[in-house]
Amino acid sequence: MIRHVSIFGFEITGYQIAFVALAGVTLGSAAMVVLMPNILRAALFLGLTLFGIAGLYVLMNAPFLAAVQVMIYVGAITTMIILAIFLSSRVMKIGFGQAIYNPVLAFGAAGLMFLFLFVTVANSIWVRDIVAAGPADTDVGVNAVAAALLQPYVFPFELASLVLLAALVGAIVISKEDRPGEP
Amino acid sequence: MSHSAYGIPISWFLTVGAMLFCIGLFGMMVRRSAIGMLLSVELMLNAANINLIAFGSYLKAPTIAGQIFAIFVVTLAAAEAAVGLAIVINIYRLEQHVDADKITAMKL
Repeated sequence: MIRHVSIFGFEITGYQIAFVALAGVTLGSAAMVVLMPNILRAALFLGLTLFGIAGLYVLMNAPFLAAVQVMIYVGAITTMIILAIFLSSRVMKIGFGQAIYNPVLAFGAAGLMFLFLFVTVANSIWVRDIVAAGPADTDVGVNAVAAALLQPYVFPFELASLVLLAALVGAIVISKEDRPGEP
Repeated sequence: MSHSAYGIPISWFLTVGAMLFCIGLFGMMVRRSAIGMLLSVELMLNAANINLIAFGSYLKAPTIAGQIFAIFVVTLAAAEAAVGLAIVINIYRLEQHVDADKITAMKL
């Protein structure tokens, strides 16, 4: 049973309030990611953005993906980016003018892109035809994901592990320092 | 069956995805440091993931394929970040900066 709250005559569900809060956190910290002159703070805001997206996944009835998002993105990728920042830049000395390049043109281009996407989402008939009014309440937990991953999608799954292995070996080779005398 | 009582139509999620993608696009264009560009790429990949999961979950015949695709995107994003950051560290070692405008090692 979903409870409705009445605010100014509008019937508002708790899910809608949660959505607005999560979307606000996600988009606000995403704006911080692209606008922060200090790249280390931008990386920390990226962690917050990814956390908000995990919350949106829960609202879409995809709890396993939310856990994956927190573990891999918030846990691993953000940490890796912060480590790379520590290894590669003098983070504290950069001002806004040095970090952001030509923001007016970029804002115009991104705004046009958003206008195009928004008009497409708002007007498309096919979205209305094939889409239900809410997320499915079928079981999409770990069992369903595992069954799909290891039965119909087993070949891409193995291929992804191969790609990961190659990428990690490549990353080690690229970042290894060349010292004369070593093989 | 669907949770229509949630009161959240799919277009809300698609709009958030579109906004996130455009923020990433903006960041891709304004940043000059290679790490800043990598952050923006992560934002754009996540925007795509939101759309994949939204459609997988909201279809009248809901499918797990959206979530599986999103898992592959996350996996490849991890690989991409590892290789990209390795390249950034190597460039920093060679040139003492990671400014994408000034990296000319591969120019003819």
